[in-house]
Amino acid sequence: MSEQNQAETPDTIEVGPSAWIIIQSWLGSLKFSLSVVLLIALACIAGTVIPQGEQVSRFLMKNPGPHKGLEFMTSVGLTNVFYSWWFAALLGVFSLSLMVCTLRRYRMIGRSTGAVRVRVIGSFITHISLLLVLGGGVIRVLWGEKGVLQLSEGETATACESQTGAPMPLSFVVRLVKFDLELYKTQDPPSGDEQDVLYVQWPEKNLLVPIALEETNTPVVVAPGMQAGPDSTFRVKVERYLPDFYLDAASGEAQSRSTMPNNPAVYVSVTGAGVTNSEWVFARFPDFTRHDESGKKMRMPLQFRFVSGGVQSMMGRSQGPVKAFKSTVEFLENGQVMLAKTIAVNSPVTFRGYTFYQLSYNPEDLRWTSLQVVRDPGVPVVYAGFLLMMAGLTVVFCVGPYLDDKKKGSGTAI
Amino acid sequence: MINLFNAGLAVYLGALVCAVVYLMSSRRLFDILANILMGAGALMQTIYIGIRWSEAGRAPFSNMFESLVLFAWSVAVIYLVLRLQRNIPWLGAAAAAFSSLALAHASTYESAIKPLMPALQSNWLTFHVMTCFLGYGGFAVAFLIGIGFLVSDREASSVKPETREVLDSVMSRTISFGFLFLTLGILTGAVWANSAWGTYWSWDPKETWSLITWFIYAIFLHCRFMRGWKGRKAAWIAIAGFLSVLFTYFGVNFLLSGLHSYAS
Repeated sequence: MSEQNQAETPDTIEVGPSAWIIIQSWLGSLKFSLSVVLLIALACIAGTVIPQGEQVSRFLMKNPGPHKGLEFMTSVGLTNVFYSWWFAALLGVFSLSLMVCTLRRYRMIGRSTGAVRVRVIGSFITHISLLLVLGGGVIRVLWGEKGVLQLSEGETATACESQTGAPMPLSFVVRLVKFDLELYKTQDPPSGDEQDVLYVQWPEKNLLVPIALEETNTPVVVAPGMQAGPDSTFRVKVERYLPDFYLDAASGEAQSRSTMPNNPAVYVSVTGAGVTNSEWVFARFPDFTRHDESGKKMRMPLQFRFVSGGVQSMMGRSQGPVKAFKSTVEFLENGQVMLAKTIAVNSPVTFRGYTFYQLSYNPEDLRWTSLQVVRDPGVPVVYAGFLLMMAGLTVVFCVGPYLDDKKKGSGTAI
Repeated sequence: MINLFNAGLAVYLGALVCAVVYLMSSRRLFDILANILMGAGALMQTIYIGIRWSEAGRAPFSNMFESLVLFAWSVAVIYLVLRLQRNIPWLGAAAAAFSSLALAHASTYESAIKPLMPALQSNWLTFHVMTCFLGYGGFAVAFLIGIGFLVSDREASSVKPETREVLDSVMSRTISFGFLFLTLGILTGAVWANSAWGTYWSWDPKETWSLITWFIYAIFLHCRFMRGWKGRKAAWIAIAGFLSVLFTYFGVNFLLSGLHSYAS
């Protein structure tokens, strides 16, 4: 606005533009910008030393009763710093300040020369990159989705549970085909091998015959000093092997929860001495005895003990940490499998814009998995910011000093 | 392998003794010896890290012991690179003392190679930890120079103003170096977190304290380049920044729980 105009209309002049200039110079001043950064840093310190979110709930459960200090901190958002309105406002003010500073640097590019110009360009790029990172965060908050999907082997889902607990619908079907848990082997197996062995005992005759599981099709047990005959020969056959035995409640069928030897069992049939019998023998529960319908112990001279190499190995590894846990999933559309992949930690799978991450598992039920489902359209923006940030800082701290030193002829850029 | 670790520690201690003797006697021979020993110590550590890497089948940067070894190595290497450009007589003694202390502290932790938990089984582990510790190394050297500056800036000090100028300049450059690598460390960590958990930032205590450290050094760089802060003010910020580094490294591991709890 010209001076003449100002003189003619004294009541209306300057208010808009000068206020903007004042705000701009205030927002863009180093003192203001660094003060905001300092406030954010202080808020960050508070957010790490004061119990946050679930920590507060856990504390209150353990220590019920009035906690005035905690109540005050909760009322001002100090127990949920990073998701409080005032922290968001601080980041907003920081972004505004950053925008003004970026604009100033842009203007400085034209006014500077040589190595200084290079530094200013680097600084401009760095400030732009910070805005991109913050912008990516805003995109995530506004348009991103995040949920958790819990599935058992064979189960399908068309929605997951969002962070608020509401269902988050998916435009496709997800099916868990298989869950696998791998453990590190930290100790040698106690027996030195991992073979499955069925021990056939005949206590009355003081007989113990170990039979490797894969060789139990038609073994014959004969007590020492006896002629093979109808009372001393038995045919033992392992009919089934289940590494992780459970009885399906619906069908009453014996099934395996997983391929891990968590509860190995063999179904043994024995024929001899005029009796034919079958029973489940459990490696982890050697004393388990089936009873017949009358409640009496079944009459059979032979007894079985099943030693599972897998269990021996697992016991040897019982203190061993988890090496990997993986979920093999299928993504279906209109009943057709569009993609089948294995999801592991550090190896997510993306389908139709949703990325599936391996989150956790249930050590009590190894058919169960928990996946994190994320759709974050802000990630490319954030990553662009990361690349620009490194480019900008490299220009500021490497190219700039190099040009300075080249000019001086010392060549000592760090 | 532990012999190589102990030999590295012994050589750094030898470098410290030679550097102190040099400071007291001004005999150039001891300065040369101190730097040769620092170089030998860094080389031994490089071999040690290489052997451990080969035996473990992954970068040996996954726990307190391994990271302290890396910290000692990065300080020694950064000092040696600086030594090629500038001769700051007492800095050799300070760097040798720092590396010895870091290794001595490392020896109090379990040194056996442990299997990695699933979240750590990523190539990002190498980039993230390596860049962070190069950054920490730069800040550690800047911290040592900052203390040296404050000592030399006393009224009774006989140190020439030109020497203080050099100290101030080297401190600024090592902080710039550290800032560049800390930034790279934070960014690689964010990319890694996104590939492991689907979130590049989760306000985990370690992440948050890295950001606080980043803010402190960003404030330093802005004050220096835009307000011309030099000398004592800059030295104090360098010291404050490194205290934040130490809290990010040790304090968070032992006092606050979070995604990085495995590091303790």
